Amino acid sequence: MKSVFIVFNQAHSEKVEYMLDYLEVRGFSQWNEVFGRGSHTGDPHMGTHTWPEKNHAIITVVEEEKVNKLLEAVKRLDEINKEVGIRAFVWNIEQMV
Amino acid sequence: MSIYASAVKKPITTLMVFAAIVVFGIYSIIRLPVDLYPEIEFPAITVFTTYPGASAQDIETNVSEPIENAVNTVDDLKEVRSVSRDNLSIVILEFEYETDLSEAANNIRDALAFVRDALPEEADEPNIFKFNTSMMPIQMFAITADEHYEGLEKLLEERLVNPLNRISGVGSINIAGAPVREVAIEADPRKLEAYNLTIEQIGGILAAENMNMPTGNIEMGEMNYPLRVEGEFKSSDYIRDIVVGNANGQAIYLRDVATVRDSLREMSMDEKIDGKDGVRMLVMKQSGANTVRVAREVNQLIDEVSGSLPADVSILPVFDTSEFIRGSINNLTRTLLFALIFVVLVVLFFLGRWRATFIVVLTIPISLIVAFIYLRISGNSVNVISLSALSIAIGMVVDDAIVILENISKHIERGASPREAAIYATNEVWLAVIVTTLTIVAVFFPMTLLGGMTGVMFRQLGWIVTITVITSTLAAISLTPMLSSKLLSMKKQTTSSSSWSYDRKIRPLLDKLDLKYSQFLKWSLSHKRIIVFSALGILVLSVLMASRLSTEFIPETDEGRFNISVELQPGIRADKTIEVARYVDSLLEANVPEMRLISTSAGADDQGGFMSMFQSTGSNIINITVGLTDLEDRKRSVWEIVESVRGDLGKIPDIIDYSVTAAGTGFGGNQVDVEIFGYDFQTTTRLAEQIADSLELIPGAREVSISREDEKPEMRVELDREKMAAHGLNTANVSTALYNRVEGMTATRYREEGEEYDVVVRFKKEFRNSISHIENIALQTPMGTSVRLGELGKVVEHYSPPNIERKGRERMVTVSATPYGASLGDLAQAINQVVNQMEKPREVIIEVGGAFEDQQEGFTDLALLLALSLVLVYIVMASQFESLKMPFIIMFSIPFAFSGVILALLVTNTNLSIIAGLGSVMLVGIVVKNAIVLVDYINLMRDRGYELDEAIVRSGRLRLRPVLMTAATTTLGMLPLALSTGEGAEIWSPMGIAVIGGLVASTIITMIIVPVIYRIFGTKGERNKKQRVRAKFSFMEEKMDKA
Repeated sequence: MKSVFIVFNQAHSEKVEYMLDYLEVRGFSQWNEVFGRGSHTGDPHMGTHTWPEKNHAIITVVEEEKVNKLLEAVKRLDEINKEVGIRAFVWNIEQMV
Repeated sequence: MSIYASAVKKPITTLMVFAAIVVFGIYSIIRLPVDLYPEIEFPAITVFTTYPGASAQDIETNVSEPIENAVNTVDDLKEVRSVSRDNLSIVILEFEYETDLSEAANNIRDALAFVRDALPEEADEPNIFKFNTSMMPIQMFAITADEHYEGLEKLLEERLVNPLNRISGVGSINIAGAPVREVAIEADPRKLEAYNLTIEQIGGILAAENMNMPTGNIEMGEMNYPLRVEGEFKSSDYIRDIVVGNANGQAIYLRDVATVRDSLREMSMDEKIDGKDGVRMLVMKQSGANTVRVAREVNQLIDEVSGSLPADVSILPVFDTSEFIRGSINNLTRTLLFALIFVVLVVLFFLGRWRATFIVVLTIPISLIVAFIYLRISGNSVNVISLSALSIAIGMVVDDAIVILENISKHIERGASPREAAIYATNEVWLAVIVTTLTIVAVFFPMTLLGGMTGVMFRQLGWIVTITVITSTLAAISLTPMLSSKLLSMKKQTTSSSSWSYDRKIRPLLDKLDLKYSQFLKWSLSHKRIIVFSALGILVLSVLMASRLSTEFIPETDEGRFNISVELQPGIRADKTIEVARYVDSLLEANVPEMRLISTSAGADDQGGFMSMFQSTGSNIINITVGLTDLEDRKRSVWEIVESVRGDLGKIPDIIDYSVTAAGTGFGGNQVDVEIFGYDFQTTTRLAEQIADSLELIPGAREVSISREDEKPEMRVELDREKMAAHGLNTANVSTALYNRVEGMTATRYREEGEEYDVVVRFKKEFRNSISHIENIALQTPMGTSVRLGELGKVVEHYSPPNIERKGRERMVTVSATPYGASLGDLAQAINQVVNQMEKPREVIIEVGGAFEDQQEGFTDLALLLALSLVLVYIVMASQFESLKMPFIIMFSIPFAFSGVILALLVTNTNLSIIAGLGSVMLVGIVVKNAIVLVDYINLMRDRGYELDEAIVRSGRLRLRPVLMTAATTTLGMLPLALSTGEGAEIWSPMGIAVIGGLVASTIITMIIVPVIYRIFGTKGERNKKQRVRAKFSFMEEKMDKA
């Protein structure tokens, strides 16, 4: 099992939701309105007057074979418009109850 | 959930909420009354006290003064004035606007109760009279007749007045100048003496003959019959055959000693309408009734009734205030529609897409309709002020929707779905939108707090703009995102094939404009000194030019009607007055081709009555009302016509004084009064004449008049009491006898068809028309002998003293003048100069007041309003930017708005009135809004790490379009108001001109001077801020160094 952490501009919300449904990912946790900035490109999403955009974040724990599909979908989503912004990060899951 | 997210997620609910608002709005529009101005009560109460037999001076010291002193402490009292005439004291109390007059009346009553004992015994109880706008006639008709003139009053009473009174909203109907039937018995005094008869005897006999009397019952057989004596005159012919006495066994019939005429009462007032005999009918509405509706129903009824009236009776409208109201309202509605079209075009021009334009424009009707709901709830009417408020708001209500929509389209273009874009794009900008709305509210809300007359006029405007702008913001953050999510689509940028497409034609144009502007901005940032100095130059220049602006209170309106009042030699005979009146009529007919109707009344109606409240009457006064054709159908304005009529009247030698004034239902009036305070009549009268003479020489002054009336000649009978006593007579007997012989004794009433007519016995006219005739009048003594009046005293000519006017408990004379071809302010200045140069006695105080005083009060109010708005706008901005300095940078654009106003007013030759001043105050909010958009973005760019210069140029380039767009919507929204020339346009076009001038100038300057000022102030502050932050976290650097 791996966990995938997806941070995305809230403008992507519906697409991300659809993506999870499409890939039959049932379980996830979501944080609304998280702020952040990219390491290399893109505008910060700080929810301030200067940088008004905001992110949502989702963490989902999936079988390993789904991880690539998920990352690919995220990449396709990002490709629509790089300016909007979506990133995914993958961790190992060591234990679960 | 936030308002915009819920709106997008529940589109049906959102739609229904707004539908509900629209439905309420439409309901309100249908139910709202239409009027010219918001209802205001003129805050004055008058106390009338009669004191029969007292002269003006007695009245002043014994009645007017004690009353003035008593009421002086009543709450909210602004001013006490009084006029003391023979027999009558009038004390006028003027209150602050919006004082509760019923409470004030109670206070006055209490105050009068204290002073009642101090008033003379013979003085009547003081009467409190509250003037009400519903006492002003809303319509006046002229009714002319040929054959039916004699029975006109009865005819009208039955067929017209009674049905009219039944119309709901009609307060009262008054007929002026109607002929009154009377049976006049005019005796020849020589014959009376020959037969040893007197007027009183004849009167007594007539009264005794003209009666019906039940005289009991008689029982005859089984029946019981009432017994009556029927002596009433069956017809007026019967009267002449009445036996009034016996001489040598012969019966003397009334016809032997007198002529009996059953005709009209001798009138010293002559009414002519278009040269024909006629009467005037005045329609007054109930207070609070809808003028336009009442007038419409009255007109309808008159149309119906006039068919059933005899053919020679015709009814013509002299004036109808509802016409002007309807005209102004229609005109403003048209203006509003044009503004709507302009705003739609501007939005379409900048956005270039139909759907986006539709979404933005939809906020207009929704926001405006809420204003009607407000009007309905607050019990106001649709009037000139509420409609102009809407025209002002129309350009501003789209701004918020535009900002929201722009951000939504940006997100959609970046690939977000319309639904997401609608929610998140609104989320990003909704706070900024609310803050810009707050700056507008900061300017308009204080207007709702204004007091005085300016307050009455502008409170509604303040509320309406505040409410519509707030509604527009609410619509922008709920309806606009909802509609965007439904209507905007993720359209691929297709290259349109048509060479006339928006993308081919307009977009490159706008892009080029952006580029040129950013180049210019770059240049000006490196040439700061040139920019700053030329800006200062413009400012100084405009301040210098400002001194050439003429000022006035409220622009006058051309209502197509004017009044002429002509004064002839006092004491002139009525027929001579009528002759002059005919001549003036013919003169007007020849020289005023624009004339639609003329109604002339000459002389005095002996009944005095209603009209005398509005016009002074007297045998030497001619009052003329002239109605002109519609504004569109004539070249000359009412003022030009009035001026030419003045010239014509000046040439008639019989006329000693005349005044020609354009009629208006507006506020304020347009007079400069020079008030001369001083106790001594002669000194003040002389001074008043001196001032009047020098005012005549001022080129722009017309209608110079002195309020103190000329002394009036009268014949006075001075009786010798000793001689009277010798004949067993007293003053009362003699004066009653004189009254009966000259004015006439009402002996009895002749009844016909249920109506009663006076039967009056008096001397024939030719025996009561000279001093010798009066002295020759024979009076019966108690001893049965007769004695001539000439033996008891003499008849002398006498001048009665003038009326005594007081203000602030001091005697006063007013010299007033009306401007022509000059503004009120200029005239007041010229008059001030004249007054200052004049040598005046030490005990006399001279003040310049009148409408000019109102004007100054109005401007003081405006200055206060301006200060309040500036402070509030500063507060809003300082909190928005969290900076005390930033608002100053933005407020630099305000002075240039005023330069623009001054320039626009000078170019269009418009006077600086309260209305134009109000336009300038409004500019504070509108102009600042533009600068905020720019400065906010520069701040943003700075925070995003751009260099100062680059941040400024980039922001300027990116914000040029939104700034131009909001400025253009507001400017073009006002354009129809500024250009309008129809009825009532004179009032509001100065506001349009002021706002357009100010906004155009300030927009151009804002886009140049504000960036430059930002550059000057910005550098130091920003560097310091970075250094301060660094100093705060210096521990970090040390650690990092060690590491």
